Parts: sequence; structure tokens; C-alpha cells
Amino acid sequence: MSEPLTQRLRRAGARRLRGWAARRHGVDSLPLTINRRRIYILPTRFGLTLAALLAAMLIAALNYNSNLALAFAFYMVSLALVAMHHCHRNLSGLSVDVNLEADAFAGADAVFHFMLRNASSLERSGLEVSLEEEKPARAAASAPARSDERLALAVPVSRRGVHRWDHVEVRTTHPFGWFRAWTYVHASLTVFAAPRPEGSRPLPAAAGIGHALSGETRGEEEFAGLRAYAPGIALKHMAWKTLARGGEAAVRVYTDLGAQPEWLEWSALEGVETEARLSQLCRWVLTCESRSARPYGLRLPGVEIAPGRGPTHRIRCLRALALHARRGDA
Amino acid sequence: MGACLALALATYVPALPRWLTAVVAASIAMRLFLAARGRTAPNRPVRLGIAAAAIAILFLQLRTFNGLSAGTALLCLVAGLKFLETHARRDLFALALIVYFLCLSALLRSESFWLLMYLIGVAWLTAATLLRVTPSAPRHGWPLDLRYAGRISAQALPVAVVLWLFFPRFDAPLWQLPSDRGSAQSGISDSMNPGDIAELALSDEIAFRVRFDGAAPPAAERYWRGPVLHDTDGRTWRNTGPTPQSAGILTPVGPAYAYTLSLEPHAFNWLFALDWPDHWSMPDARLNSDDTLVADAPVSRPIDLTARSHTHVSTGEALSAMARRRDTRLPSDRNPRAAVFSAELRRSHPDDLGYVQAVLDLFHREAFFYTLSPPPLGDNSVDEFLFDTKRGFCGHYASAFATLMRAAGIPARIVTGYQGGTYNPYAGYWIVRQSNAHAWDEIWIAGRGWLRVDPTAAVAPDRVEAGLDGSPAVERGALGFRAHVPWITDLRLRLDALGQMWRQRVLRFNQLAQFSLIERLGIEEPDAQKIVLVMAAGLVLAFVWLMWQLRREQRAEPKDPAVAAYRRLCRKLAAVGLPRHPHEGPEGYAARVGRARPDLAAVAAALCESYSQLRYAQATPQHAASLQEFIARARGFHPRRKRSGSAEAPGRA
Repeated sequence: MSEPLTQRLRRAGARRLRGWAARRHGVDSLPLTINRRRIYILPTRFGLTLAALLAAMLIAALNYNSNLALAFAFYMVSLALVAMHHCHRNLSGLSVDVNLEADAFAGADAVFHFMLRNASSLERSGLEVSLEEEKPARAAASAPARSDERLALAVPVSRRGVHRWDHVEVRTTHPFGWFRAWTYVHASLTVFAAPRPEGSRPLPAAAGIGHALSGETRGEEEFAGLRAYAPGIALKHMAWKTLARGGEAAVRVYTDLGAQPEWLEWSALEGVETEARLSQLCRWVLTCESRSARPYGLRLPGVEIAPGRGPTHRIRCLRALALHARRGDA
Repeated sequence: MGACLALALATYVPALPRWLTAVVAASIAMRLFLAARGRTAPNRPVRLGIAAAAIAILFLQLRTFNGLSAGTALLCLVAGLKFLETHARRDLFALALIVYFLCLSALLRSESFWLLMYLIGVAWLTAATLLRVTPSAPRHGWPLDLRYAGRISAQALPVAVVLWLFFPRFDAPLWQLPSDRGSAQSGISDSMNPGDIAELALSDEIAFRVRFDGAAPPAAERYWRGPVLHDTDGRTWRNTGPTPQSAGILTPVGPAYAYTLSLEPHAFNWLFALDWPDHWSMPDARLNSDDTLVADAPVSRPIDLTARSHTHVSTGEALSAMARRRDTRLPSDRNPRAAVFSAELRRSHPDDLGYVQAVLDLFHREAFFYTLSPPPLGDNSVDEFLFDTKRGFCGHYASAFATLMRAAGIPARIVTGYQGGTYNPYAGYWIVRQSNAHAWDEIWIAGRGWLRVDPTAAVAPDRVEAGLDGSPAVERGALGFRAHVPWITDLRLRLDALGQMWRQRVLRFNQLAQFSLIERLGIEEPDAQKIVLVMAAGLVLAFVWLMWQLRREQRAEPKDPAVAAYRRLCRKLAAVGLPRHPHEGPEGYAARVGRARPDLAAVAAALCESYSQLRYAQATPQHAASLQEFIARARGFHPRRKRSGSAEAPGRA
């Protein structure tokens, strides 16, 4: 019972501190070099237990006037104080940079690539970056002296849409885990979570259907996907494997290379539930990008992306799908 | 971490039941074995079962969990079992805390310098282990981690020293140390069997140290008085309380000796002052009616006693009838031969002193031997000793003598304590060891009071004059191993002198010592407040030093010899008026030098070229060789200041 309470108190405290720090420092421009004024440091639970132990031993040693136990206890106290400075120094002067936008599919991980630049002549070990989530996403690394360390932070995103964080926490418990020094990097991190690519509908290729019916030659053609079998289609186009796996009867569809641009239409999926519709569109975008040389465009309600190809175009399409208003979202 | 735990636990092994050590060792070994096999800890019921069984056995054996030794045993057991279930970082942290606790509580009871060093070593190892469990700690390997932990430890030293020196101490404890009855402590006890002191004589443990202010009394007069034994069953002599009469007034006869006695803890409250004390510094010590100096409580911690004694006193006043009865009482059914012998001897020596001399002559004349390994004796031990075996240690002689005295109606009592001591010339004090334990007699002679008679001296006078080691009359039975090698003795004395310094300066460091330390710093009328102020100032200094250290580490230049050589090269060029600009790389610099001083162009270009090769190119197998060459050439480069108008010889390269 007390566990959730302490957790809640911790979170509330961290939130207040963060708010205060945000007002104090404003939005940070990256790369950010962490100066000593923005590093906070507190003992960890391990450190607190050690402190309690040392306090008890100190009193016992003072009481019995045991100079050796006193010497050891003071040595440990002093070690802890020095460890605190080492912990603080481990962050001080570290430079942090990160890509502010990341793309992902819902249900998978978005990855932020951090660049930790250690210009000092000392190694910094045990650096952690974390984003506060229900389950905090964490990644840890060590930066050798005078080097840049890349650190990938994988953030699981469950829902389609845009996810934003207004801060990243960089922290360390080095050297002994007795203290935790941390700082907030106030920067807006965004994940565009495209819908999970799902759906088995074939591309709505206008040219594709006729082709499958009459297509005899394959020289200039490319496999474009599957569509539902309809009576009258030649059996040699049957996708037997799909059928054998217990799927619906389907036929392979081929498209011409260099044919007309393909339009991936919201309206082509009339009657399908919104998220499933977006998932199908997402699958189509991926199919078009990987399997076809044809340019493709995307039409969503209120959005039209002119046909194109390539990674940038793909990202544009996926972000359009991610940005599509959720039902119920304002 | 297992190693740290084992090392910390090792300090407790002597205090633990043997089976417990085995259980703890087994659980550590089992965990390591499982880990080596890549398996995790045994499951919960097994662990709980082991724990419950071990704790139950422990309780059955000790009957309590209260008290220091039981608590220690329980803690060690828990530590061992905790290690058995270690798997996550949290468990390692818990183990680290246990290790620290074990270290600290081991030190609470100890006074050993080596134990402190050993435990600091354990703490260091633990710190290095903690470094390794930091999330994503780089895999450095032990040497680097140990070095880093060592550096942090070294940086912690100044603060620790300041705290230790100036942290205010209590002058009286807040609560009393729970004393551990039953734990065996060697030393003189309150009863004496024939073989007891021989056992003590085998012990090299130190009973106390004494420093005399001025001259020390001669060896034959250094009797350190312990308990006085009045009652005997014919074999065992017991201290059943001092003489039931008020302490007599001692009239000093001989010179006075002032001394400081540093007594090691033992199980009783005797202070072993030199015979016979008349002044002492301890407020809670008193002279009982046996003239033995006793403290109010057992000497459970080392104490320093300043006292003054006279080796010759006169106790001349009457002995109460009760005391006389007590000190002439003998069991009627024991030692019949001694009684008959005494009666015969008494007939020819009606004078008390004559009788005493006759008995001493007997010891001297007949074939009595002084030995540490006498034959075992039965119930009539005095008879057997006097008439059969004739071999014994001081205890045998003292009890035989007292028996013969009492049989003749002369009040006699046995005094136990120490005799002699070894002088340590390196520190100027005397060491009295358990092997100096001794027993002698005191007899009451009307008109003269109690007189000390040492029958052992009649048999082996060297034992009293030169001590056990120097006595040729001592049969080297059990003590045969005690080789008399001068340099070993010498070394032991030197070590003991160091140890005594450690005790005086470190272990006995207290509020008074703090005050005198502060006075030496030039602060007058020290009190607790001033100590706190000095501590604060000291801490500020220590932290300034620490900050400076941390800064210095951070700014420390990489120790690349090529860089150092290049720096020197640049300094030489700066000296001839061509300093390197901060933005210039080696090539640009060489080019500028070449333009300004065509005579240096070739050499500078070559040097800068090889420098950039060394620093920035891929490492080649010849790297080390070319580095050496570069350093040598840079060292041999001596540009001279250009004289106006004249062409200058190029620098040698």
C-alpha cells in the first residue's frame, strides 16, 4: 500500500521540479551542453539505506568510543561524499543531441538516436536517457574520453497518432549506485506513429484487374499483389499457396512497370472501420514503395499527397496517415 | 561480490560455531557453482528450508539471539543465505550493505591495525564490484575498476581524516556495552589448579604494559599483584573474597615507583598494580583488604592506570581471629603425608621464621625441578608433588608451601599475578605477558605482618631474576619451541613498540587528545564548540582539495608522448619568436615557420609531418618505432634566434 504512495509522491515531486526547471531554462536548443546548474542529485534508495546504516554505526562507534569503527564509518561517509561529486561530474559538461522527430508503426518501437558528446578527458560511464511513459523507456551507455557515443532509445508506441514529450531525462548512478544525478533536456520530441500495416486487400490498381484476366506475357510486368478470386479468372493465376494456408481463394495480380501513377484512395475502402482503413492504406504505401517502380499518391479526407516515390515521399505518406484525426480526438 | 562477502565473513570465523562457518561457506560455494553452470538460485522452498533449519539449530545451540556473539552468528548466517538467492542488482546492493555492516561491526570489537587495513581492502573490492553493476558499465576488467575505486577511496581520505580527528566524541557512553559472559578470555582467574599457570605460561598474549617514570624496580621486586587465594580443598585454591577485615595501613619502607600501566581487557576486575600500591589515578578503583587494587567492574576494555607503589612495606598490625582461622584452615582429609612431615619439621624448628627457612631449604636442597610440563597429580596433589614427583611450576611450589605453613599454624595465603616483564628499549616500557603469570605466598609473622615468600625462587631463582626465557633451570618441556633468537626478539620488541604507539595515538584517541591537538594548533581553552569549528574549517579545506583534484583529473592531458614532444617543439619555436597560433594545425604551422625562417623550413616540415602521421593516421606496426624517432628528433631540434642580417645555420635534426 505504501509503495504506490511513495511512487506517487516521487512522481509529483519530479513533476514540480521539472516544471520549475522548464520555467528556469526554457526550451533548450540542441545540442545542449549540460552545465552544473541544471544537474540535480539525490541519494538512491540504496544510498539512503547505506546512510541509515552508517548513521547507526557512527552512533554505535561513538558510544563505545571505538576509534577503529569510527575511522571506518568516517571513511565510508567520506567515500559517499566523494562518490556524490563523481556522480555529479559524470553529467556535468556532457553534450546531448537527439533527433527531435521519429517515425514508427503503432505497436512497434520508435527510435530516438542520441548523440552523447564527451569532450572531457574522463570516461563517463553508466549514462542513461529515459522518456517518461507508463513504462519508462530507458537506454544506457558509456562515453569514453573525448568521444561521441551514439545511443538508441527505443520507445514503444502502442497507438497510432502523434506522441509528444516535452523533456528527456539524462541521468546516471555511476559510480556506486548510491546517488542519482539527473537533468532534464527540455526539447519537444515527437513520434509520428503510423497505423499498423494491416489488411489483405489488393492494391486498388485500376489497370491491375484487367491484366490478371487477360495477361499472358510477364516480361514487362511485376507482381503487384493479390486480389479476390472471381469466377472466370485463369487458374494459372491462382495463388495456391494462400489457398493451401487456408486463406481465401485469390489470384496474383501483375502490373506494368512504368505505368500510370497509383492513387491510394481513402474512398476505395468505403465501409471499412477508420483504423482498419488507415492500416490498409499503410500496407499499400509500403507495398507500393517496395514492389513497384510506379509513383504513388495518397488521398485522405482533406489531404492529398501528389504521386512520388522514395524515402521522403514514403515518410510524408506515413505521417499523413499518422496525423489523420482519431475519432474522439479534438 | 561473493568474494567480498567471503572476505568480510572471514573475520568472523573464529567467533562462529564451526558448523555455521561450514554452512555459510557451502551456500556461497553452491551459489558460485550454480552460477558457473549458468543456473539460477535454488527455488524458494529449498532456500527457506535451509534457512529455517540453520536458524533453528543455531537457536538450539545458543538458546538466545540476544547478545553480541549470537547476533554475529545470525548475521553471518543470513549473509551467506542471502548470497544463495542473489540474482538481481538489488540483491547485490543488499549484499554490499551486509558487507559494510559486517566490516563495521567487526571493527567495533577489534583494536587491530591489520584488521582495519584488511577491511578497508574489502571495502575497496566491494566498491570495485559496485562499479561493475552500474547499468551499462563498460567491461573494463578488474584492474581498471580497482584503480578507479582506489582513486575515489584515496580522494575520500582527507575528509575522513578530518572527520575522525575533529568529530566531537562522547565522554561517557549513552548505553553500556552488552558484555559477553562465557567467551573465554585468558588471564589470571579466581581459582588455581596445579596446572593452570603452566597453561598461561604458554600464552604470548600481552597482559599489560608498564612505563615507569624514572627507574624501574629490580626484577626480583617486580611482583604485579592480582587476586589473593585463601581457601583450598587440598588441591584447588580459590578466591572467595578478600580477608574480612578493613585494609591495613601500609607503611612504606622502600623507595616509591611511579608508573603508567596499560591493561588489556580480561574477565575480572583486578588491576595488577605493582606490589604495593598507595596512589592511583582511577576514581573507581580501590584497594581491597587483601591489598589488591581492584576496579568496580570487570576490565572489559583497555584502560590506562597511573599509580605509585612501594616494593617494601610494613603491614604490621594484628590479624583478626577470623582472618587467622581462615588462613590456617586446611582440609583434614587431604595430604596426610604433608601434615606428618610438617609436624616433624615443626618440632625441630619451633621458631616461625626458622620453620619457613627450613621449608625453603628443603625445596632448595632436595631434587625439586621447575618445569612447565609436570606429571599430572591426583587429589592429594601436595603430597604427590612433595614426596613423589618433585616437579612442578610456580603454582605447585606456592600451594605446597602454603600447605606446609598452614599445617604448622602459620597463616599463609597464595597471591597470584605476574612477575617480571620484558623491557622494550625502542619505546621505553615493560611488556608483561601471560607467560609472566606467577603465584607466590604471603605468610603472617607476628610483629612483622604479611611477608612475601616466593618458594619458586628457592628452586629456580633465575625464574624470578631473569624471567622464564632466561632461566636455565626451566626444563624446556612444552616451551622447547621458544627459540631464543636475538633478532626475532628484537623484531618483536620493535613491532610491539609500534603497536603501543598505535594504541596510544589512535585507539585511545579521545576528547582529551582532541583538546590537546587543538591546543597545539594554537587555539586556547579548547572546548567542544571550538572542535566543531575546527572540524568545519578542516572540512572546507578538504573539500577545496577534493574540488581541485576533480578539476585536475578532468583537465589532465592525455598522456600521449607524441603530444608532449610536439608541445616541447612548439615551445622551442615560440622561444625564437614563432609561437603556434591556437587555430593552427601542424601543417599550417610548419608552412608559416618555413616562410618566416627558410633555414628551418625543411626540419620543421618533416617534424610536423611525422607528428600528424603519428597522431592522425591509422596505427601501423611501426608506430612505436616512429614515435621514438620523432621524440628523439624533436628533442634534438634547437632553433636559434635569428640574428639580423646574417643567415643562420639550420637547427640540427
